[in-house]
Formats: sequence, structure tokens, C-alpha cells
Amino acid sequence: MPAAAAIKVMVVDDQTSMRAMIRRTLQDLGFRDVRDKPSALEALPAVQNDRVHLIISDYNMPDMDGLEFLKAVRADPVIGKTVFIMLTGSSEKSVVQKAAELGVNNYVVKPFAPAALKEKIERVFGELS
Amino acid sequence: MAFMQPAKRVAIIQGEHAVVTQPDTVITTLLGSCIAVCLHDPVSHVGGMNHFLLGEPGRGQTVAAADMNRYGLHAMELLINAMMQRGASRLRLTAQIFGGGNIQAAFGPIGTKNAEFALRFLKTEGIPVGQTNVGGTQARKVEFRAWEGVASCTLVAQAPPVRAVIPPRPPAGNDVELFG
Repeated sequence: MPAAAAIKVMVVDDQTSMRAMIRRTLQDLGFRDVRDKPSALEALPAVQNDRVHLIISDYNMPDMDGLEFLKAVRADPVIGKTVFIMLTGSSEKSVVQKAAELGVNNYVVKPFAPAALKEKIERVFGELS
Repeated sequence: MAFMQPAKRVAIIQGEHAVVTQPDTVITTLLGSCIAVCLHDPVSHVGGMNHFLLGEPGRGQTVAAADMNRYGLHAMELLINAMMQRGASRLRLTAQIFGGGNIQAAFGPIGTKNAEFALRFLKTEGIPVGQTNVGGTQARKVEFRAWEGVASCTLVAQAPPVRAVIPPRPPAGNDVELFG
């Protein structure tokens, strides 16, 4: 049973309020090391310079979307195996399929309840303590 | 301001949003304590409006996923994303806020809290706010000529029905089963 407090997380979403909500949700689940960035362009070098165990990224972002971000992470020999959970809109099933092809570990459909995020994280890491 | 015979009217209710990319289309809604935020990009002429019931769930509050878009936090994201997909830039968006009436004393100042949420959200996201018409004790009818970015708001006597946030129910099955 992994301890949530030991898992480093990077949250990427262009909406400040959504990042704050995800941070609160993760903190309520016991995560202590939660960083966030407003864009994939900023998040990519950040996780390359200081590795995390889990990336939670929105899909729908300007400049570099979640799929491009996922592809860049998977192509990096150092951080390529980082757990990656994508946040998508309910009408974006093709995005989920594309993300699966690119190696996403799981996804959460927005808008989501905190329990849904917890469930998807636990499907990857196992039950959190 | 009264609008003259628009070519098309799109009515939304709580939990919904609409995005318009052509002129002569009016998005309308009827508000009690709910909030409608109208967003407009003056360059792409993409405009949209949402209608949400409450600001955001309380910390630790359990809400069914299907009901989350009735909260402003998610309703705003859905609207902004829908507008971006139609060509709007979030950097150019301007907002107008309507509703938030304290219609029923038994509910307390819920309308005021909703309006405060909307203002706080837009400030946090850096979206400038123009016209606001919130508070009071009456319902409102909002008409938004979204392509032009022009909204009108009139007080009305009868408040729209409010559907309570219902307890969680099993997932609607919109997940794509790719993962164990």
C-alpha cells in the first residue's frame, strides 16, 4: 500500500482555479508534495529538472496540449516512465484512445468528483495509505 | 436594451452552457440565485454563456460526477474550453455576470455567495469583468447577443425552479474502458 505522502505530483492545467481544486483534492487524499504549472511548456522542463512520480495533466490547453505533453514525457529517456493521468472533457473519447496509444496510465473525465480522481490514482498505484 | 427579433434564440438552464459564433443569435436564461457568466472574445467574435447553481462543492463534500457541471468551478471551465475549441483566446476574454439573487430567505445569502464566487473566479483567472448585475431579491432574465458581446438583464417577478443537487449515483457509463 503506497503512502500518498511519498508520491510527488505535478498538476498541469491552464485554469488557476482548477489547479487549486486538484491540489486541495490531492492534499485531502494525503499527498504532500504537489507542484503545479499552468502549461505543459512550463511543466515539461520542471519535471525533467526535478522528477515526480505522478503527472496529472489537463488535455485541453493552448500551445501544447495534453497529448503533446504526454508524447514528450514518454520520449524522454529519464522521465519516460512517469505515471501520467490525463484530464479530459466528456466529449473527447477519441482523445482518450489517442492517449492510450501514447502510453497514458489512466484518465479522468471532467468535471469529476474527488472520489473519481482517487479511484484512478489507486488503479495505477494501488490503494493509497 | 431590448433586442429586435433575433434570428435565433438559444435558451439554457442550470448546468448548461451555449457558445455562439454567428451574429443574430441570442442566448437566454432565467436566473434566481444562480449565476450566468457571459464571456466574449471581441476578435474571434466567439461568445458564450453558462448558468450554474453553486460556486464549488464544500471541501470533502460528495457530489455525483453528473452534477459537477452545476458548480461554477466546472461550468466555467466547460464554457471556456468550448469557446477555445471554437476559436476564442482566453487571453482576450471579457466577462459579464448576472444573477445571484437572494430569492428565498430560507436558503440564506446563497445568491450573494454565488456572485462572490464568480467574481473571485474571474479575478483569479485574469478575465476582466465588465457589466455586473447581481444580488437583490428578484429573479432575472438575461439575453446575450453573444457574437456582439452585448448582454441585457431585466428583473422579473417569478423565479425559475431550482433543482437540488442530488446524491451521487452510479457512473453514467461514459468512461472508455481502456484501463483496468
